Amino acid sequence: MRRVGPRSWMSHAYSVAEFVLPFLIIAGLWELLVRAGAVTSPSFPAPSTILVKLWTLATGRGVLWKHLSESLYRLAVGYALSAGAGLLLGTLLAMQRTLREMFAPILSLLISVPTIAWVPVFLIILGLGDRTVIMAVFLGGFFAITYNTIRGIEMVDENHVRAARIMGASGPRLFAAVLLPGSLVSILTGLRLGIGYAWRALVGGEMLSAMISWGIGKMIYQARFWNDVVAMFVGLMIIGVSGLALDRGLLRWLERATIEKWGMLTEG
Amino acid sequence: MSYRKLLLPLVPIALFLVGWELTARFELINAALFSSPSRIWRDLVTLHTRGLPERSLLLTHIGASLWRVFIAALIGTIAGVIGGVLMGTNRYIRRFFDPVITVLMPIPGIAQAPLFIIWLGFGDPTIITVGAIATFFPIAYNTAAGVRSVDQQLVRAARTMGASWANTLISVYLPWAAGYVLSGLKLGWARCWRTVIAVEFIAAASWGLGFMIWDAAEYIRSGVVYGGILLLMLIYFAIEKALIGTIEARTIRRWGMVRT
Repeated sequence: MRRVGPRSWMSHAYSVAEFVLPFLIIAGLWELLVRAGAVTSPSFPAPSTILVKLWTLATGRGVLWKHLSESLYRLAVGYALSAGAGLLLGTLLAMQRTLREMFAPILSLLISVPTIAWVPVFLIILGLGDRTVIMAVFLGGFFAITYNTIRGIEMVDENHVRAARIMGASGPRLFAAVLLPGSLVSILTGLRLGIGYAWRALVGGEMLSAMISWGIGKMIYQARFWNDVVAMFVGLMIIGVSGLALDRGLLRWLERATIEKWGMLTEG
Repeated sequence: MSYRKLLLPLVPIALFLVGWELTARFELINAALFSSPSRIWRDLVTLHTRGLPERSLLLTHIGASLWRVFIAALIGTIAGVIGGVLMGTNRYIRRFFDPVITVLMPIPGIAQAPLFIIWLGFGDPTIITVGAIATFFPIAYNTAAGVRSVDQQLVRAARTMGASWANTLISVYLPWAAGYVLSGLKLGWARCWRTVIAVEFIAAASWGLGFMIWDAAEYIRSGVVYGGILLLMLIYFAIEKALIGTIEARTIRRWGMVRT
């Protein structure tokens, strides 16, 4: 149960402060080292320089938002495709034993290939643009979602399935009323893992696709040509924070709204 | 039963390969882009034999990648276990590094690579460093969780009976946390493998499977690209079966910590 009131607000603020503190300490020490002249190499810019850069990129012409929105668009399309396809294929394989025995081993072979290694294949087949990146995002999320959907449905209590069957449920009804709720914990784990993989695949795909000019991955890659270490740091910061925000914001919210609310998961 | 389990997956694989080969032969698909099983085989064999009296190009690529993965995994594992133990036993260290790890973990290795290229240059130093970092996070995280799960009664008992801190660590903490540590190792090494291949795409000077695939893609030698991916699958599969299986059998299985 979430408690609303000054106390929960205080503890929330406290945990935020506890989370931010280590970064402040690291940045502070680093800043001191640079200011004191112990670190002079331009390859190690001071945190203040990085923040100023972040500010200039985020305001004015707003290049940063263009990069970020392009990335998020690709992520949304690719991830939506992978969630749809993963849930569908996972359900199919979990419910059809012969199909599962045919394809599950192939799936585990394909999982072992780093998503980024498929990018050259897509570059050859789909060209150097958006489609390749979206395909990489799709593939990044797809396996984790499929795998966890299969596992979740397999773990549904056999008795519940039998009871539903006796009472005449089958096919889509059985899926919606018994299998889906029963496997939701695992499916959400898959969705959560999936968005992490998809996010990483997105950044890698953007770096490798030559014909796209916007995106967070591209921003870092372009910085390489100017040896612009400051821009690289800004890019890495954005990637870390956005990845975290996607996980905590979107997927945690989804978990709270479903399985925690329905009491299927004790908060740990 | 296991007979059926072995044979069934071969059906779609065989159908797929035959279909691929036939559509390429009859030029229903563009063989320059999609290649074909026989072309892949030919390209890989050529890559193996071309430089042969001195060295096989293919094996040198594979060897370079495996060597990098090995070194990176070694460094990352040692650092990860030490970091995990520190985080698991000391509250302040944990509170400090928990947020740092949480933010740094979702950053893919390939995105860190440009920075390390500037610091360390192209080639092994960058690839191994980024690989080691990728290995470190999951191992440290899981080791810390494992160490924290240790029953404090056991620790107190051991200390009372005169065990030193190092002694307690080795004979109480590590066996107890072994399950966690092992799943950390699995995750960490898998990540190490992926990261090394990915970073080789942009940071390798001349060798490595990642470099081989990327180089072939730039010249649209699709046979080598597909062949490289096939090799990635087979090598990973072999390593996983050989390494992780053996370690599990020797430790937590033998100690009866998982159901077999």
